[in-house]
Amino acid sequence: MSWLPLSFGAPAVLWGLLALPVIWWLLRLTPPKPQAEIFPPLKILAKVFKKEETPHQSPWWLTLLRLLMAALVVLALAEPIFNPREKLPTGGTALALVVDNGWASAPDWKRRTATAERLIADAGADGQPVVLAFTAEKPNAEIGPFDAQAALDRLRAAEPRPVPTDRGPVYARVATVLATLPGASVAVLDDGLASAGDEQAFSTLFGQSPPNVLWASPERLDARGLTSAENEMEGFALTAIRAPGDPAPGAVTAGAFDDKGRRIADATLTFAPGETVATGTMTVPFELRNDFASIALDGQAQAGAVRVLDDSSKRRRVGLLSQSDADDSQPLLAPLYYIRRALEPFADLSEPASSDLAEAIPQLIDQKPAMIVMADVGTIPPQARERLLKWLNDGGTLVRFAGSRLAAAGNDEELLPVRLRLGERSLGGALSWTAPQPVSDFPASGPFGDLAPPNEVTVSRQVLAEPTPDLAQSTWANLADGTPLVTGARRGKGTLVLFHIAPQATWSNLPISGSFVEMLRRIVQLSRNQGTATAGTEGKPASLAPFRMISAEGRIVPPPPDARPLLAGAGTLPVTLENPPGLYGSEEGVLAHNLLKSDSTLSPLVRPQLSAPVTEIRYAFDESRDLKGPLVAGALALMALDTLAVLWMGGMFSRRGARRARTAGTAAAVLLCLGALLAQPDHARADDTKPGDLEAVEAISRTRIAYVLTGQASVDATSRAGITGLTKFLVEKTALEPGEPAGIDIAKDELAFYPLIYWPIDPAAAMPSEAAIARVDAYMKQGGTVLFDTRDQFANGIGADSASPATERLRDILANLNVPPLEPVPADHVLTKAFFILPEFPGRFNGSPLWVEASLEASNAEGRPVRTGDGVTPIMITANDFAGAWAVDENGEPMLPTVPSDPMQRVYALRAGVNIMMYMLTGNYKSDQVHVPVLLERLGQ
Amino acid sequence: MARIGEASAPVATSDALARGRLRASLVPDLLVEARRIVNTVIAGWHGRKKRGIGENFWQFRPYVQGEAMARIDWRRSARDDHTYVRDREWEAAHTVWLWADLSPSMLYKSKSATVSKESRALVLIFALAELLSRSGERIAWPGLTDPFSARNGAERLGSHLAQAMSPPPKPDLSGIRRFSDIVIVGDFLDPVEETMAWLDTLARHGARAHLIEVADPAEESFPYAGRTEFTDPETGDKLTAGRAEQLAEDYRNLYSARRHELASWCKRLGWSYTVNHTDRLASDALVHVHLALTAEGHGPGGRR
Repeated sequence: MSWLPLSFGAPAVLWGLLALPVIWWLLRLTPPKPQAEIFPPLKILAKVFKKEETPHQSPWWLTLLRLLMAALVVLALAEPIFNPREKLPTGGTALALVVDNGWASAPDWKRRTATAERLIADAGADGQPVVLAFTAEKPNAEIGPFDAQAALDRLRAAEPRPVPTDRGPVYARVATVLATLPGASVAVLDDGLASAGDEQAFSTLFGQSPPNVLWASPERLDARGLTSAENEMEGFALTAIRAPGDPAPGAVTAGAFDDKGRRIADATLTFAPGETVATGTMTVPFELRNDFASIALDGQAQAGAVRVLDDSSKRRRVGLLSQSDADDSQPLLAPLYYIRRALEPFADLSEPASSDLAEAIPQLIDQKPAMIVMADVGTIPPQARERLLKWLNDGGTLVRFAGSRLAAAGNDEELLPVRLRLGERSLGGALSWTAPQPVSDFPASGPFGDLAPPNEVTVSRQVLAEPTPDLAQSTWANLADGTPLVTGARRGKGTLVLFHIAPQATWSNLPISGSFVEMLRRIVQLSRNQGTATAGTEGKPASLAPFRMISAEGRIVPPPPDARPLLAGAGTLPVTLENPPGLYGSEEGVLAHNLLKSDSTLSPLVRPQLSAPVTEIRYAFDESRDLKGPLVAGALALMALDTLAVLWMGGMFSRRGARRARTAGTAAAVLLCLGALLAQPDHARADDTKPGDLEAVEAISRTRIAYVLTGQASVDATSRAGITGLTKFLVEKTALEPGEPAGIDIAKDELAFYPLIYWPIDPAAAMPSEAAIARVDAYMKQGGTVLFDTRDQFANGIGADSASPATERLRDILANLNVPPLEPVPADHVLTKAFFILPEFPGRFNGSPLWVEASLEASNAEGRPVRTGDGVTPIMITANDFAGAWAVDENGEPMLPTVPSDPMQRVYALRAGVNIMMYMLTGNYKSDQVHVPVLLERLGQ
Repeated sequence: MARIGEASAPVATSDALARGRLRASLVPDLLVEARRIVNTVIAGWHGRKKRGIGENFWQFRPYVQGEAMARIDWRRSARDDHTYVRDREWEAAHTVWLWADLSPSMLYKSKSATVSKESRALVLIFALAELLSRSGERIAWPGLTDPFSARNGAERLGSHLAQAMSPPPKPDLSGIRRFSDIVIVGDFLDPVEETMAWLDTLARHGARAHLIEVADPAEESFPYAGRTEFTDPETGDKLTAGRAEQLAEDYRNLYSARRHELASWCKRLGWSYTVNHTDRLASDALVHVHLALTAEGHGPGGRR
């Protein structure tokens, strides 16, 4: 089947297609079985029936459908494969696979590995050992020979590297291994780029003259590289390269990204037809340029298309130089005063230690500043002059200010941007007709073009430039009469700027204007640092740690583990696996280490002439498709169609109306099943109850007053009856309707549900455990209140320090609790006013004070009925036996007599209970009532 | 796929005994049902609606001079100053022939019908027999019994039917005389010409016929679709239709044309033609036939 990229795994099955005519014959003979019906009015029907031609056979299209179905099944059984992969002719006893994984292989790495996988699979099928080497890995990496499975694992683990290939050493190692494997075929999977020493490497590799060679090359080199990105005056100048041999014009888009990877600018670079170099300018404002962290070509997922930018566009170092250093007493007259003040916010200023120019200038230049400002420096010593010129031509920015010394020093072609007239010009002086000149608009061609002109600035003295034809081009700022105020010129890579005025405010008021700062700032932005700070003064190469690396796919990534520090200052460093491209240094200062140098070219690989036969293979994915599945699916679809057709011919669909009821029943059953299935998770979700939930819900569904179960039956019964009595009284008198009293075990039960816990102290009861007391402590801290009742008002002995056993027990308990300072309820405490007005809090006994937390910060300066203050006391202590006074039996009659037997005392006891409960539930609400007049007044009533 | 229609009982024309037994077993049920249906009709049926010689009270009317004193109803007359005579309702015996088609095609019953056609036909016949017997009419089955008058006419007719070995499919109708009514229940699916030729004897003798066509809804609406083989229950002929639904339109036209022709023929002769579907109530047809039997101007003596 050469006309179809189709092959069969079991061609013999195709003979089954011969059965198709038999199937056809059978199908033609057997019509579908009719539905038998008894029909009494057959004679009437027979009259109608003569008109119709009865089909004896199934319709032709049904036959065709079934034949097609049978053919599909036969074809599927024959295991067809579309686009079968041709077996690669490896042939030899072993296979040596040499794969380029340099930066140029990154974009189609998957295709390369697919090709290599096929080769390894074929070799593995033949049982050949495989030597697998990658040219961008370290030459001492393990290369085999492996068996096929190990080779596949290594292949899958390999990845492209953002470094150029280094074929020489790797090929040499492969050659040594090949020497032990005679007759091994060699497969070269190259990236199409030539590298240094290729010829030598190839001759080493093919020195053993392998029986055959497989060679895979990319069909075309479409890699684009970014070789330089320079911060020019008007923008970033970019240079891109491509491989030669492309006659068509091309364009690439370069994008600039900030340090967070956001795209902030782009530019288009155009390759002229046949050209390999494209240049372009990324025109962006100065402020944005400082944010550039990297520049990348769009659509190029490899390291060569990315350049990282280092400090050369960041904060600049500026050297300041002046000859007059004696004016410390008059700082405003010092020449550098305004310059320093203007530059400090955005530049690192450095001044030489020495005042001697011959020493000061080399000191400054050693710090590699981006810019040197010379304030009225006239003659420069020759030995320093050489270094200054070199620094200037290498890219420095020299800013000079005029002054008497400069005016006196005479012309200097190299260190002045324009020729000057000797002497200075004075405007508006006593002997002059002219007035001080204002500054005109900045020329649009100069770097100050977009700054606002300093209209308020006037110049009274200046040095004048010789009027030459090109003076206007180098003029950055003019006076109103056209004479230059600032001139600039290029010197090599550097820039030379001259302010035609003095740096003090004597010649002009420009130095004390805001425009001065703007102008200097613009000049600083134009300048570039000359090397890294750490490259420093010692001259020793500094070791810079990897900071941000360019991955093989062209992304900015953290450094890989095998990246080593870069030795800066040691000349041009090659891009290797130890020093992959990227930024080296730290947050303070980084050095860009880019893959492509500015003179790099992309030259295609030249294949050596080989004696062995060379088989060309393509990089391609495995495109074979097993057609068995689709064919079986097609046959199944046809079967479904056939079923539908048979049903249709049998009249199923036209009888649907009669079957509606049954269909509805089926649908209902299906829906029921679905519903049951869906309902299942609901049950699971609903069942999240925990033990104790019921009790908790019961406890919090109504407000309940709790009492502590002491374990003494009589005490507990009294407590319960007492709380019941109080509850009845509350229901009777107040809006509060508490639930059943809750007897709680402080060691086990949850306490947080109850606003008040009544704790009758019984010396006969067991001392609560420490854990239980800790729970009570936590309950009090969380806002609950415990009412301790020692019930021993008249049981105390005689004497101030005598204590009943209950009091002793209370003391023991309180020793483990965080008890706040206590005080008897003051007369103006909110407890006395919470519901009833109560002067005292009697129980069965009377006389014991009710102790509450001392409200230290509470104040009642104005003699109000209630003191103000926040919070609710967490503890109340009494000895009056409240529960005994409250206790009622089931008939509502009091259980215990009061002492003395006074009915009003019981009423007061119950009122005390009401006040305590109200205080628990409403807090200091009553004391806030003192503010009601003020609030009403504010409301305007 | 389930069939739409079926024969409600195994039919073998030769096996008369089986048919007789089957019919006999069917009769009591039918009688009960017939009585039930009759009870709904009897109020409007009983009597001749005019005074005459009979047993039942008709009206009191004032005594007129010259009438026999014995006719005075003293009990009524004693209640006021006038003298009354009790009139009785006139009752006259009349011969009504009843016949139902019991051929195998009548055993057909489709799924949408509640009973088979034969069952419905027998129910109608027995109901009429019951009605007529109660009002004292003489009933007869042509070829099976002579006219007789009995209170239990339906039972007797049933026993006659049960004992009959194999009634002729088309009885001889020549014995039916003028002024007789005949009720013929069948499906009338034979060609219209044959039916007309058979019934023409009646027309010539001046008898009045009441035709009740018992039709199965499936026969009328033809709900068949798809590939279907049709079998005639009487002759056993088979027809296979590839797309039965395509025949439906023409068939329905022919079917209704047959019915229309028969009905218009009957109307011309002054006969009644009633259609009863087996998915409807038998009472419908019964009421209709009752109206036709007692129609104004069609009193005893046949049409005028």
